[in-house]
Amino acid sequence: MKDLKHLKYFEDLLQEANNELVAQAKAEGKKCVAYVCENTPEPLLNLEGVFSARLRAPRTSSMEMATYYLTSFLCEYSRALLERAMEGGYNFADCLIAPDGCTMINRAAENMELLHTMDEGKPHFFYEHMEIPMKADDNGLNLYVLQCKNHILKPLHEKFGIDVSDAAIRKAVEEHNKICRLLRAMGEYRKLDNPTITGYEFAVFTLASYAAPKYLIMDKLEETLEELKTREPDEKNPFRVRVVFAGSELDDPDFVKLVETTGAYVCADRYCYGSFPGRDPIELTDDEDALTQICRQYMYRGQCPRYMDPPKMLGRRDYLDKLAKEYKADGIIYEQVKFCDPWAYERMIGSHVLHDDYGYQVLSIDRPYNASGVGQLRTRVQAFVESLEIKKIQGGAK
Amino acid sequence: MAKSKRIGTQNLGRFYTEGKVRNRREWRGLADTAYDYSRWLYNWFNMARIVLVKPRNIKAMFRYRWMGNYLAVPMMVDRHTQGLRGEHLRICHAEQDIIIEDVAKLLDKLFRADRRIGNDTEFNKKVVLIDENAMQSVMMGFPGIVPLSREIASTYIPVLLNQRAALHYIDIAQEYGLAGDVCPMPEAEAGLVIDDDAPIVGCCAIQCNTTCDGSLMGNGVVYKRLTEEGIPTHQLAVPLRHREDDVQEYAAQEIRNAIAFIEEHTGEKWDWAHYFECAKRVNFATRSRLEWMEMSKTDYPQVFGSNLALYTETNYMVVNGRIPLFNEADKKISALAQKAYKKKKLVANEYRHRAIVWGVQSHYYMDFLVWLLNCWGIIPLTDMLSMVSTKIIAEEDTPENREQAIYDIAWLTENMLMRNRTHGGYKVLLDELWEFVEEFNADMVILWEHMSCKALDGMHGQFEEKAREKGIHLVWVSHDLFDPRVISRQGVRDQINSYMRTVMREEPVDPSLEVLSDEESW
Amino acid sequence: MAKKMKKNLLKLLLKLVLIVVGFIGVTFVVYFYNLDMKLTSAMEPILTHFYDKVKRDQHL
Repeated sequence: MKDLKHLKYFEDLLQEANNELVAQAKAEGKKCVAYVCENTPEPLLNLEGVFSARLRAPRTSSMEMATYYLTSFLCEYSRALLERAMEGGYNFADCLIAPDGCTMINRAAENMELLHTMDEGKPHFFYEHMEIPMKADDNGLNLYVLQCKNHILKPLHEKFGIDVSDAAIRKAVEEHNKICRLLRAMGEYRKLDNPTITGYEFAVFTLASYAAPKYLIMDKLEETLEELKTREPDEKNPFRVRVVFAGSELDDPDFVKLVETTGAYVCADRYCYGSFPGRDPIELTDDEDALTQICRQYMYRGQCPRYMDPPKMLGRRDYLDKLAKEYKADGIIYEQVKFCDPWAYERMIGSHVLHDDYGYQVLSIDRPYNASGVGQLRTRVQAFVESLEIKKIQGGAK
Repeated sequence: MAKSKRIGTQNLGRFYTEGKVRNRREWRGLADTAYDYSRWLYNWFNMARIVLVKPRNIKAMFRYRWMGNYLAVPMMVDRHTQGLRGEHLRICHAEQDIIIEDVAKLLDKLFRADRRIGNDTEFNKKVVLIDENAMQSVMMGFPGIVPLSREIASTYIPVLLNQRAALHYIDIAQEYGLAGDVCPMPEAEAGLVIDDDAPIVGCCAIQCNTTCDGSLMGNGVVYKRLTEEGIPTHQLAVPLRHREDDVQEYAAQEIRNAIAFIEEHTGEKWDWAHYFECAKRVNFATRSRLEWMEMSKTDYPQVFGSNLALYTETNYMVVNGRIPLFNEADKKISALAQKAYKKKKLVANEYRHRAIVWGVQSHYYMDFLVWLLNCWGIIPLTDMLSMVSTKIIAEEDTPENREQAIYDIAWLTENMLMRNRTHGGYKVLLDELWEFVEEFNADMVILWEHMSCKALDGMHGQFEEKAREKGIHLVWVSHDLFDPRVISRQGVRDQINSYMRTVMREEPVDPSLEVLSDEESW
Repeated sequence: MAKKMKKNLLKLLLKLVLIVVGFIGVTFVVYFYNLDMKLTSAMEPILTHFYDKVKRDQHL
């Protein structure tokens, strides 16, 4: 296929946490709200005057300093973030909002605070740690709303004078939805039998929407969507099978590339930093305040394994089944960043349930934070692709 | 530091063998040996009376792999009474013996209810299965209900009895694809369920997100099996940032929901009179603990170490004022402690260092603190698991207090032992440690590093830096909680041995304990 | 008659004392030499062998 016009630009953009668009937004006088977990409602971090940057640590190599503080038993994501913070890689941030989504990310954020990694010389800088619900129900919703008020809206207003009114939130949701709809529309092309966008390309665009100010990438995404409408696929589909890629935090699109180079097309992305459910538009009505509606939608759609009530537990496997059906997947790859407790369990249970109860072929892998030096992983994915192919040839079930 | 005349037996190491058990019991002088013997006899009698005489319990002995570990109960007592004399021996027995009786009753009830064993359907209608990691404070207003935790009986206690008790279940969980780096406690519980080795009990079940991510997620495995067994299950969510005001209403509502769930499935009604009776006993236990802590701040601490930790675990977390007998034990312990305190008695031959023991203890080596004292003269003044809530809860039955009570139950649940330190932000884990160091006049911190406990690991560097800043000796003791294959008991001891020899340049008080052949020991 | 009763009573008491002393003596030997634990530790492998043979519905 012909290269997408802006792909290279976005690839380059993702090489740095402190990318040129972050710098541009800062230069325009906006404050940067850094955050570390998908359970933080994004529109609240993108009110007029602020923009969000979900922290990541591209091109991480050594994590020695962070390993001293966190030991080698914490996941590499949390260590990579702390290492980058200690190196001064997040000095662009004006505050950090960290929910206690998991213990490891909580400890990484606390160490950032204790080590004063980002607040030097910034009198208005604040670190906020917030509680988020563990069950999707009314009580959880009340908590979510209160926590967002106390740990996001209140400090943003008090420290930076941000307008946190209902009208301002609704406006932010509108902007947020524009990006979501663009990405959803682009993602639709993944449903084609011979798709006109690769899983890798889609992962790059999606990731950029987390890592860069949204309003600054809007035009390029619009242009890319236009391009996709007429993009011609290769005559022969280079992919042999289709897979849903699901699991924990993943902010390195090279993993998707690795899977695709073995002949498996990543037709759906259900991981933190992926588009499901992170790029679902937020639908607001006028009969209730926007904050409550946002929290409700975040809570009910969330696929984070920390949700412990049965509808959420069972729903996570059901969600993958629906995705696999909608995007015509032949199999599912469950991935987990090493040392992640929540996904260690979810991967074990999910991979058994989706195989035994739903009849999918499942590959279950754990992986390092970034994709360099993962030759073994390639071999495992290759073997999985072959097994899927054999099953297809033999005309077996999914 | 303080020295006394010979208190304990010298050369305690000579009792160790290379096998599972010790070569003989300790001679403690006529009176104390006779006392220890009488307690040994009493414990066997109690176990026989409560458990062994009933055929159904014998049947269970041959059904459940973990039951084999209960053969080692008397040895657990021996491990904790090592070197003790006089009042301290009696305090230890007051703590240990009541726990043994309580666990024996738990086993008996479990098998009475178990569909595979006793299958007492009427009894089962009043049994609520409780997550091991849940504080049982939510049961304080249900006198007619029998809360049972099958994980306490099948994984938690067995590892105290036999260091290798959980290995089979850990291996099973990993065979099914669970990563090997998660905490082995919920991992073993998951393995137990996968291996179909958990009694099937209860008309309903309560799960809880205490203590950690692993524990929360392990519930998913257990829930799946409970659903197959037809046991309705409720998840009690407990906020992590438990010191914050803005999570208390959430926590309280979770308690209300749990109570409603229990009422619905058992047909029992919440009984306020019973609740406040229990609350009085909870407060009595709290005051007793505080009194013991005050003694530990002086030169003559009397109630401390692994016995206190085990007793607190049971009394604070499981009993919650529901069993009056524990208040009697509190009184007895206080009286003995006061008596010894007045006489300025030491628990061991020599005190060299005053230590706060922090972090999550090695479960397969719970008596390590006894060793610490006997081998190196380090007094474990208090430990993290004993530093639980000291809040006095509402105990008079008034309309206002009925509302307050829900918040009190929530507070206790949030402050389940261990999680009250591992969750709630760095202040409760890191900052408060140094406050305790000062309060207890400690010169040393023994920091258990349970390697797969991410909440503790995540503060590793901060602990070290602060200790250096404050000039406190901080000794790391790594272990893997339930799995001695990762770090053996001698591996645990060696970390202290090398610190004491190389950094402190000291010789052990009892050199026979420095290297022990207990690799194969229960 | 009374003498005989007294004698019988004494005999009974003596028996009782002997039983108690015997019980204490035996159990004390068991206690002191840790024979109870030595016995149960010998039972453990037998039980483990048995546990391995119990049929179980092992699944996730």
